[in-house]
Order: sequence, then C-alpha cells, then structure tokens
Amino acid sequence: MASLLRPTLRAVATRALHTQTAAAPATTPSALSLIRSQPSHYVVASVAGRKYLLTPRDLLTVPRLKDVKVGDVLKLSDIHELGSREYTVRGSPTIPAEQVHVEATVVEHTKGRMEVIFKKKRRKGYERTVRHKQTYTRLRIGPIDIVENASS
Amino acid sequence: MASKLAVPLKPFLRAQQRSLPANGHGAFVPQIRKLVFEFCDNWASSTNLRTYIHNHVENLARENPHVEFVVRRRSHREPVIRGFYINNRDKVIGLKGFEVTGIQQKVQLLLDSSGAKIKPLKRETVVSSTEAARGIWSGLHVEEPFRI
Repeated sequence: MASLLRPTLRAVATRALHTQTAAAPATTPSALSLIRSQPSHYVVASVAGRKYLLTPRDLLTVPRLKDVKVGDVLKLSDIHELGSREYTVRGSPTIPAEQVHVEATVVEHTKGRMEVIFKKKRRKGYERTVRHKQTYTRLRIGPIDIVENASS
Repeated sequence: MASKLAVPLKPFLRAQQRSLPANGHGAFVPQIRKLVFEFCDNWASSTNLRTYIHNHVENLARENPHVEFVVRRRSHREPVIRGFYINNRDKVIGLKGFEVTGIQQKVQLLLDSSGAKIKPLKRETVVSSTEAARGIWSGLHVEEPFRI
C-alpha cells in the first residue's frame, strides 16, 4: 500500500531540481570553467604507477621514490579525471597538462613497521627469520589549479 | 571632519576559524630541528663516528641550514645519534659497529623523517581531511527511495 502513495510535493520538487539535465558543454574550456565555478574538486591521477583519487591537502603514501628529496615539489603529469560535485571531465587517457595543474610536495621518507617473516619446514631443520621494514615516501597534495584561458 | 565609522563585521562561527594541519600544502616546514652526535674520545667503537664528524659534518650543516647540529662528548659510552623533531619526539640511533657509510645512511634517515611514530603504512594510502567533493550518498535523496 505504501508504494501506491504519491510522493509528497516537497520530495518531487527536490528530485526535479536534483536531476534536471543541462546540455553538456560543447568545448573543453567551457566544461573546465563549469567545474572551476564549483567550490571543491577532486582529481584521479596516476602516481608511481597507481591511480589515486586525490583532493587538496591530503597525504599520499607511495613506495619510496629514490630520486627525490624531502621538500621537493612534484607536478602530477597523468591526470585521468577532474571532477566536482556535479560535473566531471575525463581525459582520453589523460587531461592535457596545460589545463590542470596539481602539485605534490615530498613531506618525508619513512619506513613502515618492522615485519618479521618466519619460515619453517618441520622435521627438516629448516628455519629462517627475515626482518623487514618497507620504505615509503609521503606526499602532500597541493591545490588543484584549473587554468583559466582560451587555449583548448 | 566626521570620523570614519567602523564597517560592521559579519558575525562568524569561531569554530570555522580553525585550520587543519597540512604541512606541504602551501608552505613546507622541515620537521627535524636538531641533530646531536654523541661520541667518546677514548673508546674504539667511536672511531668511525669521530672520522665522520671530522670529515662530513661541516658539509652536512651547510647543506641543511634548517637543522641545528650539535657535537657532544659522551664519555665511556657507545656512539649515538639523536634527532629532535618539531612534534617534540626524538629518534635515537646507536652507531656501534657502523662504518662511515652506514653512519651517513642513518644520518640521512633522521634528516628525511618527520618524527612521527612508526606505524604500518601498507593500508593507508591516502589520508584526507578534505570533505568529499561529490558529497556523500544519501538514501533519502535518490529518485526511487527504498520502501519497506
């Protein structure tokens, strides 16, 4: 019986506002300026061979980057997707680097917790203990800068 | 001449004026503040650290101007290196049995570290305090809400 009740007027109004479809912007710069007009953004970028969903101010932990020093600023070159609350731009396969700038600062080079790997074969006198600390680099993602100019 | 009246201020919530820590987002502040080398004059175990202090510490201090380098005598003890960090923690590494190259590696470890306690980092790839850009899904704001 409950399923036969019509939704309330308020629910209809909310739903209509939320699901109204506007025409998709024709050019990339207009799409980017639509996204730019919204308050918060996210980016799907490849770092060290893996894709991550990143927002400004977050701390990304990747396996140790050997050729980088603490305090260096890295520019993310492979950005696959840029989005905001209502709009998303997906590159094919990446968004050109001139249109979106995201930087990451190397905050530290650390090691993880000590892991003890114990191997044993019973009745054969074979026992090995391996002690291992994985090395990591932590990066702080900077602001997402959507470039505002006429270039496509 | 009438004095300029003060512009009325918009009321704001005090809790919104806080800032969350994000070292490296705008400016990066190196976390290590002091590095102390403690050696013994007489014992043979400190020989390598004494060689290192004699040959390398000056260049190290020049390359890392943000760090305070201290060389202390610690008689009749094994050689030790201490790093002091901005979060009030310190890391101490014993240098007994280390060659000069090993001491260099441990010094670099202390300079690179942030002083935070070592914890398992395998699972936490992205640590974020930013609210989700796309918002959180709500079961009450979908086209077809679930009816029991």
